[in-house]
Amino acid sequence: MPFPLPAPLKDPSTLFYQSNVVKRSIIASYWTVILLAVPLWWYATSIQRLSLPISQIHSHAQRHLKLPVDICVEDVDAVSNLHAFFAEKTRAGSDGWSDLEVRVHGGSECADTSSYRVRNAPNILVTQNEIYLPLHDKQRLSSASEIFTSLVNPSSRTINQNNRVVQYSPQYRLAFTLLNEDASTGSSASNWDIQAGLAQRVKPILDKLQPLHNFTIESQVQYHGRLAFKPQAIGDVSYGLTAEDLTVFINSAEWSLSSSASNDPVLHFVLFIPSATRRPLHILTSDAQISRSKSFLLPQWGGITIYNPPIDILGKNADLPARVNDQVFQEFSRQLLTLLGVPFLPNGVQTHQSDISSLSDWQIDALMRRRALENAKGAHETLTSIVKLVDQIENMPVKEDVKGDVQGALDALEKVSPSLHSLPFRLLTNDPQTFAASSLQDTFRYSAEATTLASRAFFNPGMLALLYFPAEHKYAVYTPLFASAVIPLFVAALKEITAWRKQR
Amino acid sequence: MKLALRWLLVFSSTCNLVYGLTTEIFDENLKINHLQDGRVSTTFTFETVLKGASPRDPRTLNTQDASQHYVLFPLTLGQILREYAVTELHLTLNAGNWNYDRWGYPEEKGVGTGAELWAWMGTGAPTSVDDRWKGLRNALAGLFCASLGSLDEQRTTSPTRSYFPQGVLPNWNGNSTHQLRHASLPSEHVCTENLTPFLKLLPCKSLSGVASLLNPHRLFDADWHGMSVHVLWLGAAGIKVRLTFQSLMDPLRSSISNNQNWSFQSLFDHTIERNCPAANSSTVQVTLPSSDSYSAVPEPPVVSGSLATYDVLTAQKPLDISVSRRGEFQYPSSFQAVAPISVTRTLQGFNQANGRLSLVLRNHRSVPQSLVYLETMPWLVQFHLHTLQARVEGRIHDDVISDISYTAAVPHSRPTTFQAMLRLPPNSVTRLNMDVDKAFLRYTEHPPDAQRGWDLPPAVLTPLILDTNGTHLSDEYRLGEPIYTSTLLVDVATPDFSMPYNVIIFTCSLVAFIFGSIFNLLTRKFVVLHLDSNQGN
Repeated sequence: MPFPLPAPLKDPSTLFYQSNVVKRSIIASYWTVILLAVPLWWYATSIQRLSLPISQIHSHAQRHLKLPVDICVEDVDAVSNLHAFFAEKTRAGSDGWSDLEVRVHGGSECADTSSYRVRNAPNILVTQNEIYLPLHDKQRLSSASEIFTSLVNPSSRTINQNNRVVQYSPQYRLAFTLLNEDASTGSSASNWDIQAGLAQRVKPILDKLQPLHNFTIESQVQYHGRLAFKPQAIGDVSYGLTAEDLTVFINSAEWSLSSSASNDPVLHFVLFIPSATRRPLHILTSDAQISRSKSFLLPQWGGITIYNPPIDILGKNADLPARVNDQVFQEFSRQLLTLLGVPFLPNGVQTHQSDISSLSDWQIDALMRRRALENAKGAHETLTSIVKLVDQIENMPVKEDVKGDVQGALDALEKVSPSLHSLPFRLLTNDPQTFAASSLQDTFRYSAEATTLASRAFFNPGMLALLYFPAEHKYAVYTPLFASAVIPLFVAALKEITAWRKQR
Repeated sequence: MKLALRWLLVFSSTCNLVYGLTTEIFDENLKINHLQDGRVSTTFTFETVLKGASPRDPRTLNTQDASQHYVLFPLTLGQILREYAVTELHLTLNAGNWNYDRWGYPEEKGVGTGAELWAWMGTGAPTSVDDRWKGLRNALAGLFCASLGSLDEQRTTSPTRSYFPQGVLPNWNGNSTHQLRHASLPSEHVCTENLTPFLKLLPCKSLSGVASLLNPHRLFDADWHGMSVHVLWLGAAGIKVRLTFQSLMDPLRSSISNNQNWSFQSLFDHTIERNCPAANSSTVQVTLPSSDSYSAVPEPPVVSGSLATYDVLTAQKPLDISVSRRGEFQYPSSFQAVAPISVTRTLQGFNQANGRLSLVLRNHRSVPQSLVYLETMPWLVQFHLHTLQARVEGRIHDDVISDISYTAAVPHSRPTTFQAMLRLPPNSVTRLNMDVDKAFLRYTEHPPDAQRGWDLPPAVLTPLILDTNGTHLSDEYRLGEPIYTSTLLVDVATPDFSMPYNVIIFTCSLVAFIFGSIFNLLTRKFVVLHLDSNQGN
């Protein structure tokens, strides 16, 4: 029996707050608050990572995009012939044929679906969206068909040699530069008739390419554009540029060609006038012979043309002669077509229009089909890489705008597939040509939209924000506070649990 | 709506027409002056006029712009001007402090230390003037490799009383208005990386003509140097771009016999060897010494007054102009004041919380002088305007300051704009004093070299000149050439930058200590200990 306490003092075990229940509930409530705070803390410090439509992206990979090409043959007898020809090409599946679905119709049945017409004529002749083939001449038909197929689907190898073709962009900046190596030595060009050159040679092409790209044009004249190397002398009279020289021809440190005001890709077209002391300047072939060509192309950058004006006795600078001006711009327009990937007409095909600047619908459509396929493929690849990237890097935030862009790109990709959205068109319109044209243009437009949105999502600056924020940094701030506060809590809880166990 | 569309059509067609027919004229000039203290000032001026062109109407910013075809006009600059529809643009990049008392007025007026950018832009665009101003300064920062991007809204003001358009502002639809944006960055250091892009804007770069004298090794060795870009619209005459480079050389520094002789070779280490093929005119102007005891080689073809003019295009190459004087240079005991006033600006006070801005103005003329006083101060120095006091020869004069317009600073965003009219009595010394507060900055607002302090932009004093057919302020006055004061350095309170971590540790320890104590008290179990009575025995 314990000794009784003196009267004014109480036994602490009789106080209500010294009871085990109160003490345990105090400890329990501390822990409850901490446990309840954990989700809040987790939410407040976590990075927002919205879920991306991964399954949709993967399922889209299974789908194979086929673009339809409807051909209407005037002569019913030739239908089977051509059909077999195309079927064989498609079966082989090489060189982009697997992405096309060529449908050949004959006579009356093709009235409302086809976009191209094949008519009979002794010579192969291409007009806007028609082709004349020797349909009745069985011997010549097979070679003619070969030409015909390369018109429908030009071999991508011949178009995009050495990756010449620039990446797709809805907007290009065309920068024309008349570059004198050293105009102070005289006999150089002080000005050119850019307006005439553009109007005659470049504008018609740009108008035709309107559905694919927009263009801004700018031009300048430079009087001092030194080369970064010395061209080698050939004998005493002329100078030559070897293939190695051509690769370092652009002296970007000194030629102020770059423009700073916009982010659109720039295609440069430079007319280079060598200094009077280093003239004439020729391009050399691989066996050190003077090449007939006066111009060369830098893949995905632009084109350069060299012009050697006659030496003026007085050493005066003159404007570029009109004839030369026209030749130069003709060359520029050819380089522009190559850089943009516009297929040239196959050999052996005649056109009504003699000059190069008027393009047929066949060429534009072939380009549009190729760009549409490229864009759709590119967009899909970008989407897959976004998913992979987000998967790999756990600190990477995925915000609403990224998700929206990815979803938008996916929606656009859905629309690219023509079978889905062409049905209502087929019901609405009776005119076969407008239907087909708008269909291909729509396909292209959606594919461009998809690739734009996908790359915008990929390069979204918000995705980089916390990429390099180390977790150690977080712990350095948390440990001094939480470690010292949580340890007494732990110890108290442990003690209580052991006491409680003993009690039982 | 229909009318507007039609106007747009008319405008765009005239625009095309204009671009088809523009001719461009390029003139270059070098002016060399002798200064009182033996220094030689050289001023290169390159002017390109785009005849018949007009600035872009900001209302057409949404539509695709007309193609830009230039022969002599710098394309990279033209792109920026049209992209942001800038009507008038002035950019100066100077190194050093221009001493008006010794050197008189500079050939190019904008000599404020560091970078100064001001532009007039039309309103009514789909994007706001401030957005375009932001784009403009970023684009120019990229073009000139200068830190103009940091001329943000904390430094941007609109002081319309001291800065007037130097060209014509177009009136597109009868009631279009223009707004001024001005900002300066005194801490900008000007060097070769700014000159290289500057030279690229010239048709002949630095390879021929007068520009071939622009040798960076010598220019940046000068006692003072500065470059500027001015774009203005001349009305029907077209758009003018003026690029200038000023430098102040000291022939006495390298001279053994203490004479003031100079030549192109000694100043620039270059001579003019070739004509610039693009130049319409190319001249060198030399102000000849007043005394007769000099010789100029080659003999100047045209001399009017004391100004000798050489035509570079017809001169024999290589052209190496030299001026030599007989006898040693006599350093003057006092300098003859060219500017009507001289001004000293200081920031006084020893602590980091407040100080006093003091301005000492000397009127050298025997007539009263009126001035427009402009102070654009970042928010980190805040004025106590009620303490502004003017003393003439020690006595308080309230009538010196009049017509004050004041835009108070907003901490962390807007700078102060203070404009006032000063009237200085003849032959007097006037002191202006004002108490200022120095701000306490946020931890993240300090620059990397926080202990160095902040450079404050120069004040601008623009004398008013009596003019019978004046155009600007009133019928009788027009603005004279501005006088820039020196920059100031303000020392604001800087924290110990390792502080946040210390604070975290201290706070955490304290919190943990308090938490532990309270927790302990709440959960401690008190028991009664019974001492054994046997032990006590």
